[in-house]
Amino acid sequence: MNNINESPRVVDVNGLSKVYGSGAIAFEALKKVDFYADAGEFVMISGPSGSGKTTLLSILGCVLRPTAGRVVIFGHDVSTTRENELPSLRLSLIGFVFQGFNLIASLSASENIALVLRLRGWEPKQAQSEAVKLLAEVGIGEKADSLPRDLSGGQRQRVAIARALAGHPPLLLADEPTANLDGQTGLQVTELLKDLAAIHGSTVVVVTHDPRIHNLADRIVQLEDGQIRKESL
Amino acid sequence: MKTQQLSNAAGPIDALATHRPTRILRLRTMLHVGMKMMFYDKLKFAGTLFGVIFAVVLFNQQLGVFLGLLSKNTMFVDNARADLWIVPTSTETLQPGKPVPMSALYEARTTPGVAWAEPLLYGGASISLPKGGSEQVTVIGTKAPYWRGGPWNIVAGSVDVLRNPDVMIFEDSERDKLGGVNLGSVREVNGHRTVVGGFTWGLLPFAPSYSFAEYDYARVLLGTPSDETSFVLVGVGAGANPDSVALAVRKRVPAYDVLTTHTFRNRILRYLLESTGIGFTTATSAMFGLIVGLVIVSLSMFSSVIDNIREFGTLKAIGCGNKDLALMLLVQSAAYGLIGSLIGLALISNIAEAMRSPKLALALPWLTYACTPAVMVLLCGLASLLALSRIRKLEPGMVFR
Repeated sequence: MNNINESPRVVDVNGLSKVYGSGAIAFEALKKVDFYADAGEFVMISGPSGSGKTTLLSILGCVLRPTAGRVVIFGHDVSTTRENELPSLRLSLIGFVFQGFNLIASLSASENIALVLRLRGWEPKQAQSEAVKLLAEVGIGEKADSLPRDLSGGQRQRVAIARALAGHPPLLLADEPTANLDGQTGLQVTELLKDLAAIHGSTVVVVTHDPRIHNLADRIVQLEDGQIRKESL
Repeated sequence: MKTQQLSNAAGPIDALATHRPTRILRLRTMLHVGMKMMFYDKLKFAGTLFGVIFAVVLFNQQLGVFLGLLSKNTMFVDNARADLWIVPTSTETLQPGKPVPMSALYEARTTPGVAWAEPLLYGGASISLPKGGSEQVTVIGTKAPYWRGGPWNIVAGSVDVLRNPDVMIFEDSERDKLGGVNLGSVREVNGHRTVVGGFTWGLLPFAPSYSFAEYDYARVLLGTPSDETSFVLVGVGAGANPDSVALAVRKRVPAYDVLTTHTFRNRILRYLLESTGIGFTTATSAMFGLIVGLVIVSLSMFSSVIDNIREFGTLKAIGCGNKDLALMLLVQSAAYGLIGSLIGLALISNIAEAMRSPKLALALPWLTYACTPAVMVLLCGLASLLALSRIRKLEPGMVFR
């Protein structure tokens, strides 16, 4: 992890390919994709199902290895980073918002958030108090002690956003954050994500095929059949 | 915006260097999450715990029966208050066999380091029952006034009643079997009219119960010649080393084995373990209990991981490494092992108390209580390996699918 350097370009992807399987059943999900995200940007990746959006996001999130190409995050070439270094890299640099919220069912809303902070080295009490603050920021401060099963879909996604922001990671990756929400709630949650990311100074990459939230993007990248077809501002 | 962008871009550089929680902090975090996850699914928790409790109870029950049986076979040697035993050569257990000549007794008494030596008669006898038929007892003959070799655990009467002619002390728990005997009852022992002078409690070996008589009366009952005895008990003087004294006595009675109590006890145990099926049978049952418990815990933990696979994927995605998750599973397995052991030991302790009788006693020494939690924690740790291998192979990318 010693090749990190200062750069306004948060994400820089060149010639990225990903092939699933091999031989006759090989499937090329990404075909020499070039992609970037600058610091503070709110970028959306859009496209039909099977276009490679989630594969791209997974590679950006360092949870999937590319077959070919170079992925640089904060000047650090993660495509060559050793496997055992990736967890701490993810913990330090990236916050995740998942389509299915992915909260830990046995932990309360605040504990879900505090967990990330504790993994980053925060003392339990400080982590808990910061978690409550973040919950207040996403508008559900009163739900700190609630378990995920006692929260609505919108509230769960707010907790997920607060968890993603915990510890101020410079890069937020959101996978279809509105998929399990109704139109109005989806819009509100995405606006919240954008506002808070701006306040926390995070760069956001959102994968979505929900056109109702496209107008919130600084830039939209259209993926189709594993390739970037169009970019629009 | 640009200034902020630059500072943000620089932030992670520091972050990577500083975000290193201490091992203790990491352990506390994984302990916290592990416990929360473990107690959340109460049914699964109860099922897994049941597996551990089952293993603890079955294992300790079998072990207790086994140790109980062993102690029945060594109780006489343990309670005879002798330092050395002169026994016929190749004696492997406390049973009537070839006699020992009284000359061995006199040799022992004159050996330096010996404080005292007493003969002990040991043999089978038959008691005629009032309604016909007979029962077997093991007659023990010991010498007044010290009564080395017993009786002990007297619950009715006193040892001095044996000074009276034709009197014996019998085992209280065998009273019904002996035709409902009471103090003062009269029975025929090997054809000799004998008065019941007292009762002991719990002196039931893995053979007919012990019944005690004064040495000379026992000799009459067993038909032993006056120049022979069954064993010679020897006590060494204060400060003398039993091994050295045994060596000295052995030189004087080379045709017989001179054993320290410890050696004799071990010889009996070795005989039981090697020459009978007790050890193998009990060990098999105990192992079976442990294996069943291990399988239940292993499958429960594995199924728990499978049920929560998305949560484990999420934990991996947000930055938990394999070591963190392994730690969490080990913490869970240790908790299962400890909680299950405590409940299981409490149960088996009550079961042992409820079924305690002279005929069957579960022997559960403190070492069993001390070792069971450690063994179960170790086994539960092993049981978590299956779940651990699944987590190790888990791709964090699955959270996006």
